[in-house]
Amino acid sequence: MAEPILELRGLSRRFGALRAVDKVTLAFERGRVHAVIGPNGAGKSTLLNLLSGELRADGGSVHFRGEDVTRAPPDRLSRLGIGRSFQTATVLEGLTCEETLRLAAQSCLRSSMRFFRPSDRYPEVNARAERALGECRMTARRSARAKDLSYGEQRQLEIGMVLATSPQLLLLDEPLAGLGHDEALAVVDLLRAIAVEHTLVLVEHDMDAVFSLAAAVTVLVNGKVLETGTPAQIRASPAVREAYLGEEEP
Amino acid sequence: MTLSLVALQLLNGVEQGLLLFLVASGLTLVFGVLGVLNFAHGSFYMLGAYLAFWLAERTGSLLFAVLLGVPLMLLFGFLVERLAVARLYQRDHLSQVLLTYGLVLLFNELSRLLFGNDVHPVATPALLSGSFKLGEVQSWPAYRLFTSLSCLVIALLLRYVILGTRFGMRLRAGASNAEMLEVLGVDVRKLFARVFSAGVALAALAGMLAAPLTTVYPGMGESVLVISFVVVVIGGIGSVRGAFFGALLVGIADTFGKVLVPSVSSAVVYAVMAAVLIWRPRGLFGAPAEAR
Amino acid sequence: MTARQRVQALLCAGALALLAVAAVGDRFWLQLFGKAMITCIFAISLDLLVGYAGLVSLAHAAFFGLSAYALAGLTNRLQLVNPLLTLPLALAAAALAALCIGWLSLRAAGVYFIMVTLAFTQMLFYLFSEAPWFGGSDGLYLSQKPLLSILGRPLLDLGNRTAAYLFIFAALVLSYFFLSRLLRAPFGRVLAGIRGNEQRTRALGFSTARYKLTAFVIAGAVAGLAGYLDAALYGFVNPAELGWRQSGLLLMTVLLGGRGTLYGPILGAFLLTFLEHYGARLTDHSSALIGAVVILVVLFLPRGVAGLVERGGRG
Repeated sequence: MAEPILELRGLSRRFGALRAVDKVTLAFERGRVHAVIGPNGAGKSTLLNLLSGELRADGGSVHFRGEDVTRAPPDRLSRLGIGRSFQTATVLEGLTCEETLRLAAQSCLRSSMRFFRPSDRYPEVNARAERALGECRMTARRSARAKDLSYGEQRQLEIGMVLATSPQLLLLDEPLAGLGHDEALAVVDLLRAIAVEHTLVLVEHDMDAVFSLAAAVTVLVNGKVLETGTPAQIRASPAVREAYLGEEEP
Repeated sequence: MTLSLVALQLLNGVEQGLLLFLVASGLTLVFGVLGVLNFAHGSFYMLGAYLAFWLAERTGSLLFAVLLGVPLMLLFGFLVERLAVARLYQRDHLSQVLLTYGLVLLFNELSRLLFGNDVHPVATPALLSGSFKLGEVQSWPAYRLFTSLSCLVIALLLRYVILGTRFGMRLRAGASNAEMLEVLGVDVRKLFARVFSAGVALAALAGMLAAPLTTVYPGMGESVLVISFVVVVIGGIGSVRGAFFGALLVGIADTFGKVLVPSVSSAVVYAVMAAVLIWRPRGLFGAPAEAR
Repeated sequence: MTARQRVQALLCAGALALLAVAAVGDRFWLQLFGKAMITCIFAISLDLLVGYAGLVSLAHAAFFGLSAYALAGLTNRLQLVNPLLTLPLALAAAALAALCIGWLSLRAAGVYFIMVTLAFTQMLFYLFSEAPWFGGSDGLYLSQKPLLSILGRPLLDLGNRTAAYLFIFAALVLSYFFLSRLLRAPFGRVLAGIRGNEQRTRALGFSTARYKLTAFVIAGAVAGLAGYLDAALYGFVNPAELGWRQSGLLLMTVLLGGRGTLYGPILGAFLLTFLEHYGARLTDHSSALIGAVVILVVLFLPRGVAGLVERGGRG
């Protein structure tokens, strides 16, 4: 078994009486696409927010490449190499695609507390932004304002922003949610291409996409891990069928 | 400091805090329910004081002035909400700050136009002109006791309205989640107008009650506005309970500051606020921060 | 002509006009335009916060006033008149105050931030109006204006009207270039990200709190420059300069001109300076006039005059 890049040990988070994430222990292996699925309210988003530092855990720990990062804030996690995308495409209003990606690419500078040289005159920033622009397939739309993009394009840009930070691990929060059929296909195709060189944790509703992309699938129900396995194992699991897939499968 | 002096300062502090609560509760409610940061709130305090002065001169009684003045200010608040504030609900904080700042300038000039730049005294009602002895030297004016009790009654009334009535239920629903109101089928426009004019009336009433104590002068609303902000920050925005305890804390800190450290007394309440900010950035009764 | 070219043409024409005023050398115009340019510096520094970092600060007058008082203190108490000494010290005082107030205020998000900055501004206002060693509410006269001389020969004398005017002009040009450069640099791009979506920007690896605080301190220092020039131009400081009305008026200047454009607040500063000046001549109640303008601008011109300039070409 390959070495895990990210490990969760008994990770928990409560909201009042609700145990949104309840003692989750999981390992994400380097170089794979690992999907986390589950019915609405299963705690997928909370889990992702715990991993990206947006929320603070009440119990348990998170280890990234062996280092305990349970209490690290989002900006530090990003600098360590955990990039995340957001479910509601959070494009930065007022910026063009190119500017957005250049901002994300600035994370390669040791610090952005630089006050004089314009950001488009840093060769390494430009190179990274350009590469991310290509990777998220938005080169043709470089000068478009982010808020004028279609929904699908916003998702692509969102993924491009994560890529521009050169992450070792990408946490993707429902990258297909709310997309039309063709747009979803384009994003799945994009994710497949990214998966060649990156480790992905994919929280997603779209079952077809999950089973076509993921090497491992974890099913979360009521904040607990119900089962983890290959797509074939998960498809065959009676427990999963009962808890979750029953209504979705024909 | 003798015991009786401490007692006197404590009483003064509580009285000042209770008056402050009337102003701050309106401010915090208007922000909590309407989502509008109202810089003109202090002006309503000032207008209330001027109205009390003017009506008391005409009617010869502060009581009549208050009885006439509060409904007038309710109406005035309603008009201001409909004509100006209602246009701010979808706007950002900067627009809110500036529009209500514009109102402050207008109201200040209005009062100067009508009453000039002079300081106007307002007579304490004859019935309440006595005072209670505290120890050997100190005494506490009966009017201050009356003010404190009135404010306390209003605070209890407010508590009843918020916790015990349908209106209060809608108000709380609106403060926590404005969309809930639509779901409940509440006429949001009407609710907002009512809350705003109630806030105006509370601030004006505080001004009327304070008029005999502080005299009436142009710009008197601004220091009250700033102190009310301090109260709201300490108590937590949107929390009436927070405003109550915040106001008492600020009132007491201010009066003791004036006695203990007179040279920097004006900084004392801000130091309290800074301490609260370091300790609990969302105020004593504010919701704790979810995200980091 | 693109919007950008139109703006550049406008700025160049404006700069030439300002130099022409210096050439005429009339005392009244030098004073009025000098005041307007100081307000420009003050306003563009606030635009860095309001228009770019999305921080509505009411503490800005505090840094302006503190720097002005610092100059007065250094001149009157320590007999320091050399601007090479007094200017950096005054700016450092403003920056230090901005660091303290900013650190505390930025702990509070959104609407709390506005209220807290207002409260600290008023605290300083009360302290300076009450403390006798700063002249109380009457304010303070400078015993001498900043003077730079080398080997006994005056090189820069801010007591000279034209010299002071040109010095202010140079300060405005430098501030404008400094800020516009800053906004295109990595630092400014992070601010743009914060304005767009702070959470997202943080998730990209930027410690947004530190960037906001840095912006707050830089803006405070530039506001300090404006305060220094103001004290040097008039030879007088008073606590009203520190008050929240001043901060409110400045926010209004930024909105009137058009926030987030840098040149917009410059237009706003000129408009407002003239409005104040001629309004005060017209009526004793000119504040009401300004109040009415504020309300009308908020309601009908939310993007300010700059919005009109940029729309101009498209009809």
